[in-house]
Amino acid sequence: MNECHDLKYISKNKKQGLRVIALAGNPNVGKTTIFNGLTGLRQHVGNWPGVTVEKKEGILKYHDKEFLVIDLPGTYSLTASSIDELIARNFLLGSNADVVVDIVDSSSLMRNLFLTMEIFEMGIKNVIIALNKIDIAKKRGISFDVKKMEKVIGVPVIPTNAKSGEGVEELKAMISGMAEGKATTNPITPIYDEPIEQEIGHISGVLSETPLAQWYNVRWLAIKLLTRDQEVIKLVLNYLGPKKMDEILIHISELERYYKHPLDIVIANQKYEFIDKLMHQFVIHFGEVHETFSDCMDKILTHPLYGIFTLLGVFYLLFKFVFTIGTPLQEFLDNTFVSFGQLIAPHIGNETLRGLIVNGIIGGVGSVLSFFPLVFLLFVAMSILEDSGYMARAATVMEKIMRIFGLPGKSFIPMVLAFGCNVPAIMSTRTLEDERDRILTMLVNPLVPCSARMVVITFLTGVFFSKHKALVAVGIYAISLFLALLSALILGKFVIKGEESPFVMELPEYAIPSWKIALIHSWERSKEFLRKAGTVILFGSIAIWYLSSYPQAMGSGLSYAEKLGKVFEPFTMLMGLDWKAAVSLIFGIIAKENVIATYGVIYGIGENEEALIMLMRVAMTSLQAFVLALVTTLYIPCIATIGAIRAEGGNKWATVAVIYNLLLSSIIGVLVYNIGLFLGL
Amino acid sequence: MVILMYVRLSQMREGERGTVVDVRGGHRARQRLLGMGIAPGTKIVVIKTGFPGPYIIALGSTRLALGRGIAERIIVRREQ
Repeated sequence: MNECHDLKYISKNKKQGLRVIALAGNPNVGKTTIFNGLTGLRQHVGNWPGVTVEKKEGILKYHDKEFLVIDLPGTYSLTASSIDELIARNFLLGSNADVVVDIVDSSSLMRNLFLTMEIFEMGIKNVIIALNKIDIAKKRGISFDVKKMEKVIGVPVIPTNAKSGEGVEELKAMISGMAEGKATTNPITPIYDEPIEQEIGHISGVLSETPLAQWYNVRWLAIKLLTRDQEVIKLVLNYLGPKKMDEILIHISELERYYKHPLDIVIANQKYEFIDKLMHQFVIHFGEVHETFSDCMDKILTHPLYGIFTLLGVFYLLFKFVFTIGTPLQEFLDNTFVSFGQLIAPHIGNETLRGLIVNGIIGGVGSVLSFFPLVFLLFVAMSILEDSGYMARAATVMEKIMRIFGLPGKSFIPMVLAFGCNVPAIMSTRTLEDERDRILTMLVNPLVPCSARMVVITFLTGVFFSKHKALVAVGIYAISLFLALLSALILGKFVIKGEESPFVMELPEYAIPSWKIALIHSWERSKEFLRKAGTVILFGSIAIWYLSSYPQAMGSGLSYAEKLGKVFEPFTMLMGLDWKAAVSLIFGIIAKENVIATYGVIYGIGENEEALIMLMRVAMTSLQAFVLALVTTLYIPCIATIGAIRAEGGNKWATVAVIYNLLLSSIIGVLVYNIGLFLGL
Repeated sequence: MVILMYVRLSQMREGERGTVVDVRGGHRARQRLLGMGIAPGTKIVVIKTGFPGPYIIALGSTRLALGRGIAERIIVRREQ
């Protein structure tokens, strides 16, 4: 391990030989729109290494030159308090960027320049400020002297309106020029009160004598030490040793006593005052705060009663849109792959090869691709809700309810989507800013029954509880939802450490979403799903094909799958389920609706539904059927869902999800079966 | 009736203006508020109070929704 890179993130992109342009800025400043304006369709969505934070990269072409544009996570500041901020900060510290474009919202300049000052304090000089949303500022009566602003701030300032494309060409020209070293800048940095400056001077002096001075701006390290930044304290401790570090910490405590406040507040206060003074030099009109139409809308949309009704309506329409278009497409793709398999099967002489290709590979690829329309459409719908500004209101209105279970309001969205399909639901967790919230939401998500499990639940309840089928089905839904929320509470307390995030949410201006941007994003994200989840699903279906065809096909009682079922039988019998159920559950991992179809294969009656109903009624009691439906709902998520969790949260959390669901379903299954027996059901 | 100059944000009425003087609470919550622009010295307008639902405040043209817990921790000097 190289200690000097403790905080720095060194991008691999350096090796590609392209000059790197990083976009920094607060959330909701139009960063994504600028990114699209700079890169057009030449972009790619991925994750930052090791974390579930989305990373967008694209190529900017300007005349005959190409640049790599990296969109840093949108952050308000550069502290060590969230993963997003750490990613942005470590990236900037690593001097990965030849040019940093700091995108600021000109209608809310004071707060936006806070981040700008933090970037300047790091010692980064190649910065361009994109003064975005210039149209909204104008509407609010705010106006600037841009030339003066450049002089005061010390870096080039380009007014832009990313939505209309205004200023984007000028921005490209400036980026290209600066990347080639044609611009000289002199960024201004805040000056603090005398006692703080003295301490910064003292600490900087001490740090200058360490190797840290070669790698970091010592003034930045000193300021971060004063705010008790945990990451910086750890770093500096390595070089100074505990004794000198203690001395510094004692100084800091004295200063905190002097100000009667923690220094992060004092420094933030003085930084804002400094920014205020700067602004008075170049802002011509500041504008006034008036209640707007959007404020009136917010009062209704965040109201606990009207807001929730609106929310239900919006999500009803969302599902209607997605499933009306998506389901026929899904079925079409599914059928196409089945026919394709049947078509080419006779042409493959070798029996093993035929099975592998037709059932394993084509079946696997088919089930991945048949998810694509649903995933894509849900992303389109979500992206439109996000861009319109409604999502922040939806999250706000659900905050109180979700918080009871230790989840933030925003996690409501993935939970609702899960009723349709868990795959896009899990992928939508990336809109949660907090790592803890994201993982927690992802882990409990599979417990919300998706539409495939609805098929199993309605079939079994229909066959065994004709009179009370609706009631029993609702009961199964209620149990699994209850377990999902309870799990959130328990996992949040014991498994996923971390403080609950405090509730502060920006309510961005309502806007008319752009179809083009929604489509580009959704396409990129769904492609990523195919790439990442696809491999898991493919290998899964090849494994299942192998188990069900060797050494003899299913139905003979000799296949590995059936043998495996018999191995598990002593265990599943604890919940009253025999080997047939065990085999069905194994196949259900591919797709939960397989649980019923597998019975047909075992009995050798194919898809003859009437015969199947007859046989099943003989084979199991209604208590056993209830347990089977419940366990199908709760056990291991289907392969596509596991793939999605792996894509978003990595192998570790995918494993945790599988084990947790398996444990939970076993406990519940055994419990329900034995209570049922005891009650004489 | 005595009108207090310094109040918690949670005690302010709709339409009232003021300047933030202090932000209390744990390190993490504080960091988040400071970065979002709620720091001593910033001017705010109360757009909506917390009954019912969340607080909404304006900082320039930015709107922030806050939970009650957070609104209790922000100390504001009222503008007369």
